[in-house]
Amino acid sequence: MIKLTIDGIEVELEKPITVLEAARKAGIKIPTLCYFEGLKPFGGCRLCVVEVEKLPRLQTACTMMAADGMVVKTETEKIKAARRAMLEFLLINHPLDCPVCDKAGECELQDLVARYGPDAGRFREGKRRHPESFDDPIIVRNMERCVLCTRCIRMCEDLQGAYAITVTGRGSHSFVEPFSGGRYDCEYCGNCLTVCPVGAIMSRLHRHSYRPWYIQNNVETVCGYCGVGCTMILQMREGQIVRTIPEMGLGLNNGLLCVRGRFGYDFVQSEARLRMPMIRKDGELREVSWAEALDYVAKRLREISEKHGPQAVGGIGSSRCTNEDNYMLQRLMRFTIGTNNIDSAARLYYAPAQRFLERIFGQGITANLIPGIKNSDGVLIFGGDPTQINPILGLQIRAAGRESATVVTFGRAKGLERFAHYMLPGGPSVIDAVTGMIVQELRDKVQLSGENKWLEGEIQKTRVSEAVEGVSVDEVVERLKEMTNPVIIIGPEVLQSQNSDRTLLLIAQIVYLLNGRVFLLSDRPNYQGCIDMGVLPDMLPGGRPIEMFKHKAEEVMGKEVPTERGLNLFEMIEAASEGRLKALYVMGENPVFNLPDRERVTQALKGLEFLVVQDIFLTETALMADVVLPARAWSEKTGTFTNLERRIQMVRAGAESVEDMGDWRIIAELAQRLGEEKQFRSVEDVWEEITHVSPLHTALDYEEISKGNALWPYNGEPLRGVEEEVEIQGLDDIKPLKVEAVLQPDRPLYHSGSMSRHSKALKSIEDAPKVVIGEALSEKLSLKDGDRVRVTTERGTLKATVSIDSTLGDERVFLSNTFSEGNFSSLATYGVSRLGSMSLDANKVRVEKEEA
Amino acid sequence: MEEIKEILKRYPDRRGALLPTLYIMQREYGWLSQEALQAAADALNLPPATVKGVATFYAMYRHKPMGRHLIQLCTNVACMIMGAERLVDLLKERYGLEPGGTTEDGRFSLVIMECIGACDRAPAMLVDTDFHADLNEQNLFEILEQYK
Ligand code: SF4
Ligand code: SF4
Ligand code: SF4
Ligand code: FES
Ligand code: FES
Repeated sequence: MIKLTIDGIEVELEKPITVLEAARKAGIKIPTLCYFEGLKPFGGCRLCVVEVEKLPRLQTACTMMAADGMVVKTETEKIKAARRAMLEFLLINHPLDCPVCDKAGECELQDLVARYGPDAGRFREGKRRHPESFDDPIIVRNMERCVLCTRCIRMCEDLQGAYAITVTGRGSHSFVEPFSGGRYDCEYCGNCLTVCPVGAIMSRLHRHSYRPWYIQNNVETVCGYCGVGCTMILQMREGQIVRTIPEMGLGLNNGLLCVRGRFGYDFVQSEARLRMPMIRKDGELREVSWAEALDYVAKRLREISEKHGPQAVGGIGSSRCTNEDNYMLQRLMRFTIGTNNIDSAARLYYAPAQRFLERIFGQGITANLIPGIKNSDGVLIFGGDPTQINPILGLQIRAAGRESATVVTFGRAKGLERFAHYMLPGGPSVIDAVTGMIVQELRDKVQLSGENKWLEGEIQKTRVSEAVEGVSVDEVVERLKEMTNPVIIIGPEVLQSQNSDRTLLLIAQIVYLLNGRVFLLSDRPNYQGCIDMGVLPDMLPGGRPIEMFKHKAEEVMGKEVPTERGLNLFEMIEAASEGRLKALYVMGENPVFNLPDRERVTQALKGLEFLVVQDIFLTETALMADVVLPARAWSEKTGTFTNLERRIQMVRAGAESVEDMGDWRIIAELAQRLGEEKQFRSVEDVWEEITHVSPLHTALDYEEISKGNALWPYNGEPLRGVEEEVEIQGLDDIKPLKVEAVLQPDRPLYHSGSMSRHSKALKSIEDAPKVVIGEALSEKLSLKDGDRVRVTTERGTLKATVSIDSTLGDERVFLSNTFSEGNFSSLATYGVSRLGSMSLDANKVRVEKEEA
Repeated sequence: MEEIKEILKRYPDRRGALLPTLYIMQREYGWLSQEALQAAADALNLPPATVKGVATFYAMYRHKPMGRHLIQLCTNVACMIMGAERLVDLLKERYGLEPGGTTEDGRFSLVIMECIGACDRAPAMLVDTDFHADLNEQNLFEILEQYK
């Protein structure tokens, strides 16, 4: 216990902290400029100077540790004079162009000068000149305004881990620059923008378009790009987003965002947004009124369901829509139309993987907290680069690696190259053998708990009959067995192969042996919500298997749960092409673009009698629809998302556009036309019903959720005692597979696809697909970064630019599925894996250099 | 590369080896171009931006392309009194060479130095690593003509 006196106030401290922090605790605000909460103190600006009794000189409060008995004064004449002098020095070279600076009004320098500064400068020498740089598409820098506090650099190095910018030059010719001196070419998280106290590093997106005091309202919501679910503030003016910013202390991202969250919001303001419902008349989509569109959809759905039975109707929910939206679609299908044909893109890998793990470990196995990752002593990463797929989660791994955790990657993970201690191969050909080798060594070195006899049996059964050449796991295993609270991260790249079930069982064995916490990467914001809302053919809301919970649901709903087995996403496509499925209702999903084998999917949808697409853009799928219904975008919705840690979070509308209704309401209107009696007046009504139907969400309301701690299992009851044995073949004969180069989907940092395609900002960073190859292939073909190549599969050929990933050690070739032209799905085909996910093994690929 | 490995052995961490590595790159590339900085970063596995920050901090690195031969001519007090400034003018007249600049044919670059410790034999200069003193209007060009 330490006691000190600051400005006459006695402060008691538990543990040593700086004088600055101690003063803040006592409610005393010491001015600062180079200090930023969460960054290492730098002590460069000297504005935080204080007088400490018995010390001759003024001390910087941000670096001085509080000590017992200290007597500190924070505002004396001497201090004020010192601050004034420091500010005068800072202004010598400052352009004082506040009238044309976007920062004015929220500039720390301006505020400080107003409070402490001199009225006029005494220096008459010329100021340094350094023209504003527009080299970068989304960041504009004006280094004449820079006060060299290095906050941006500390942010970029110590929290973001990108090391993209630095102080170049010396003395008054020091400027903060990226390596290129021009474009940043960095991760574009924009976190340096947050910390710059002046207008030296700013976003170009809203340049000169507003003043901070023009912002009419600040709306707290969560990002709609990925399953991390970062909290952000929408700053609104006249119904438009001016910018999105994070806030320290808010949400699990605690002041940080990634490029998509920070700059990708402009898609909602795209010209291409749908505004009016459309019905296909004489072969063309024509705008109609809402009433006409809804009446027509209801009429057609009723006709088809009466004529061919409800089994001829299906629905696809959306991992980009809220829980409420998805719940309502599920409700429409199951309880109004009477079919279990409902699924979502969570089918592609997330839902089957989660189901598999839950069968082994029980419901909620993936419910672990992202901010806890940095405190773990080991992180194992399988199946993709978290710094691209779920960037803010990726930062936690970087932080862990920087502290004391051992970071082990399996397969490529470019963004962790500087942070990983071991990078083991992890492509489809070797992942089973590598994990099997680890299991074999580890099982004798750790104590088995006896908790899961079946799994322990499987662990003993595991046998690698042929080790991976040149790979030794001994050292890694030595580190693994010392770990006390490791984290195991599983991404899509190990979940989309024919035998992903075996891979996942092997990873599950490691989870069990290490008692690790599992995270399932989620490249969409609400896969988990789709699952929890019963957007699955065999599960009711709350993740309850139909056969077990049918009666309970019927009791609550007062309606029957259909008994016939439902079709999943793949089966619905198949049923459509065979003519068994006649009508499909697609909400916020674009199967024609997002599923490989466009030809097959297009043909299947063509076979439908009736296709409804509800979306914010006229997507490839919407272009085929009989009716297109315009929906609200993420920033116009109120509701909830459930992130990959299974935290329920509020999505709040920055502004609602009057014309459209939002997904859940469209469906509610439709249900009424199909005979539903219950009225849903607001989104709260929808949530209310969810809390009654889903045993997981019992008595949870928006107020509670708003506190940010709606964590699994909320107030509800997780499903217990349903763990079972999973049959996996070939566990006792694992060997590396001979595989040729296969094409795989890349999930790039700057893009998500459907939404980012309409974001000018994100497109200005990257506007064409890249073919990512490993070093071996690049050497074989003598390719270097930026070369043009032809990529050929059975489906066709496309041209793209090469990007070499030094951490990609196998012969996989990655291509993103994010641009209208040159996307992964146009070249690929898919099957269904034994895990139940999409299998992408069959996409043999050839890459050739395109001669200039 | 071998040389860099040797250097790495002498320093506790990779960052420590940066300054000597930059010298090597400067020698190999002639000046610290982006390419040279990138090569230094790759060799030491350091972030390129960090490398650039360090490189631009120090005056002893060259941040512009240099001619084949570097003339480092002193114009500090002693040399100035002994007529160094006239030599600067002559270089300009004869080769079109300005302080801080490079001749069009890329033969010479000129850097003005502050006292190179040869005041007793002023004016003095270094051409590449060779030292020349007691310069005058005649021998200046006799000397320089030996550098092609
Ligand atoms: S945008 Fe992010 S990665 Fe780029 S310089 Fe700023 S902090 Fe670094
Ligand atoms: S650019 Fe901004 S944050 Fe970076 S050093 Fe300059 S003033 Fe500080
Ligand atoms: S990490 Fe995901 S949720 Fe967070 S800002 Fe980025 S895209 Fe949005
Ligand atoms: S805030 Fe303490 S020295 Fe800058
Ligand atoms: S002044 Fe020129 S060498 Fe000293």
